[in-house]
Amino acid sequence: MSVRLQFDGISKLFPAVRALHEVSFSVGAGEIHGLLGENGAGKSTLLRILSGVYRPTAGSVLIDGKPVTLANPVAARAAGVAMIHQELQQVPRLSVAQNMFLGHPLTRGSIFVARREQERRAAEALAAIGPSIDPAAPLSTLKVAQRQMVEIARALLDRARIVAMDEPTSSLTPSEFERLAEVIKGLARDGVAIVYVSHKLDEVFGICRRATIMRDGIVVDSVDLKSLSEKAVVAMMVGRELAQEQHNSHASSQVMLSVRGLASTKVRDVSFDLHRGEVLGIAGLVGSGRTELLRLLAGVDRATTGSIVINGKAIKPASPRDAIAAGIGLVPEERKREGIVPLRSITSNMALASMSVFAPHGIIDHRGLKQIAAEKMKRVNLRPFLLDRPIRLFSGGNQQKAIIGRWLAAGTRILLFDEPTRGIDVGAKAEIYHLIEELAAEGHSVVVVSSELPEVIRLADRVLVMRDGAIAAELGRADLSEQAIAAHAIPQTRTPAAEPARQ
Amino acid sequence: MSDATLVQPRTEFLRGFSMRDAGTLIGLIVILAVFGALVPGFFAERNLINILQQSSINACLALGMTQVIISGGIDLSVGPTAALSAVISASMMVAGVPFPLAVGAGFAIGLLCGLVNGILVAHVGLQPFIVTLGTLSTYRALALIYTGGNPVLGLPAGFRAIFNSSLFGLPLAVIIVAFVAIAAWIVLKKTPFGEYLLAVGGNEEAAYIAGVPIARTKIAAYMISGLLAALAAQILIGRLGAAEPILGNLWELDAIAAAAIGGASLMGGKGSVVGTILGAVILGAMRNGLTLMNVQSFYQLLATGLIILAAMLIDRVTRGRG
Repeated sequence: MSVRLQFDGISKLFPAVRALHEVSFSVGAGEIHGLLGENGAGKSTLLRILSGVYRPTAGSVLIDGKPVTLANPVAARAAGVAMIHQELQQVPRLSVAQNMFLGHPLTRGSIFVARREQERRAAEALAAIGPSIDPAAPLSTLKVAQRQMVEIARALLDRARIVAMDEPTSSLTPSEFERLAEVIKGLARDGVAIVYVSHKLDEVFGICRRATIMRDGIVVDSVDLKSLSEKAVVAMMVGRELAQEQHNSHASSQVMLSVRGLASTKVRDVSFDLHRGEVLGIAGLVGSGRTELLRLLAGVDRATTGSIVINGKAIKPASPRDAIAAGIGLVPEERKREGIVPLRSITSNMALASMSVFAPHGIIDHRGLKQIAAEKMKRVNLRPFLLDRPIRLFSGGNQQKAIIGRWLAAGTRILLFDEPTRGIDVGAKAEIYHLIEELAAEGHSVVVVSSELPEVIRLADRVLVMRDGAIAAELGRADLSEQAIAAHAIPQTRTPAAEPARQ
Repeated sequence: MSDATLVQPRTEFLRGFSMRDAGTLIGLIVILAVFGALVPGFFAERNLINILQQSSINACLALGMTQVIISGGIDLSVGPTAALSAVISASMMVAGVPFPLAVGAGFAIGLLCGLVNGILVAHVGLQPFIVTLGTLSTYRALALIYTGGNPVLGLPAGFRAIFNSSLFGLPLAVIIVAFVAIAAWIVLKKTPFGEYLLAVGGNEEAAYIAGVPIARTKIAAYMISGLLAALAAQILIGRLGAAEPILGNLWELDAIAAAAIGGASLMGGKGSVVGTILGAVILGAMRNGLTLMNVQSFYQLLATGLIILAAMLIDRVTRGRG
């Protein structure tokens, strides 16, 4: 088997972040190669380099032994690389054929689009991988699995020599996966090199013979999956030194928040209690329903069934306004999109949730507001301490501090953090951790959703592990380890406990 | 907390907020200087008052438009809203209804028109441009149908006298609009509603999660716009003594222009009451000057267009430096 794709010492530096460090491994022609690692291990960055979105800071990509310059996505495509994204990048209103020829349509006399010819060739490519899809149908009428087939057929049309798939099965049913697996194996038989990224270890074990395991931007090892157990692979994925700082619990026995049977389209029958002064961690893979659960509690989305009881009082939040009135505040994951009003000052952003408090007679008491803002921003250690400066000019960490200050100013007792340190540099990270601990010590109740296991372990008094929208396990401080969390978070066919939950 | 930390943000505050307004003011000064040099008598007290009077109706509309634009929307229906308000008030007066009541009814029509716009935008979730394009035609049609296309003539003298009166040498219309501007400034700078408006237009998703009442805020903005359109209508029919169902044609464009020249961003989240007033006066001064110079109306149109484009270009060039 000849080497089709080779990464040779690839490094990628972002400002203040080393995303990849000297990544080297190779994939043979006709090989289906798994790429494994936790969120943030560097898999996505590597795929973006392969598909020409990013350029490596150092190192090179070799295709069929020759170094290639993947300056942009068009160049990558010309070099024979096809990328199949987790979120399919297609235009729903256009037809299947139009999508397959997007960006380089077949033309007659280089003016008119040769629609018939496009559809004929699209149909040929689709037939080669099996599914009966009408190439003239609008893409929006297709199911996700079918859309994925369209993407693969497009790779065939491009005569791709390398196909990279990022979590291709995240929204497929088991039978759809079987079908996809057959198509992937067919591609491999034709000599295509396939890089297969998935969190689902059973799938990777099912269709890949070899896999490369990444962690913190480096390659841990490229391994033969036949000789390893899933457990051993998980250990390699998460097996860094545990960030064990001393942990003080401030949890009391008083229940602040009680959730029973909460459900929505993405959350299944979630029940738990949150105590005064407790930091409750919620772990699980991206897409396991963690964010959705927080959004239900914060009133951003509505639950279909279940109850939320705060301090003995049942609430049914129809909007964040209701949840805030009941004492729940959300520090969202996507700070830019859901957290800050970029053009407004730190003070305005902080006061947004408690405006009526600052305007008891309809007119805002700017003097009082300034005082509270100064007090709260001192408390969260905002830097630089410029309260009237637009928030967009601050670093991510300081924006996050202002959002935390928003809930302090509103007197919120239950704080929900979704990925509290996403996009925040190391120094500010430690500050946010301390802040969360102090909030708990003061008697706030805190929920922390995080993909970074050391973060969860550092902060949480207790951890709920979510999988497929439900709580798969509850781990106390004594049982808390990255391996334990990963074992419950990652669906494994051989875990007996997972079987009933799947049915 | 030390005093130093409280003092420093204050200068920051002034700098951040008045820079764009200062730019608009410079623009106004330049235009005044040019016409002052070219047109004899341009700076006569009487002419300056004329400029203010001629700008007052557009300023009134533009203040409402500014609120809507800040919320991330647009209100194309202000002209027809004014027309509907005008013909209903006028026909009530002609029918003998005491004029305070008739004027009140006109305001109610304005609020109602704004409420319909607001509900369609905030609760039904339609795009503001399309909603108000639709109501632009609808409200105009209602005004025409109601009057059969004929002007309502013969407004009572008492009503006309009020709107044609002066206080301290200034026409009442100018004074009314000045009060409206002060009120709008207070609303935007000093009330939770103003903060909500800026937050909803600046980042609706974030505002929602922070507990801002999104729908209420948007609806209120459209209702303010409708109310101010009705006020502009009363000022106009008071001056003219008649209400035409076709009055207010293309008012929305002048109002948007004034707001944009004054620094409002059609992306939402940004706008200034002071800037909008200056923008309206810039447009008014320019038209006045060109008319006094006997320039053909074609060139007045050209000048209006160029001023809007120049303001936007200056905006673009100076952005990102703060």
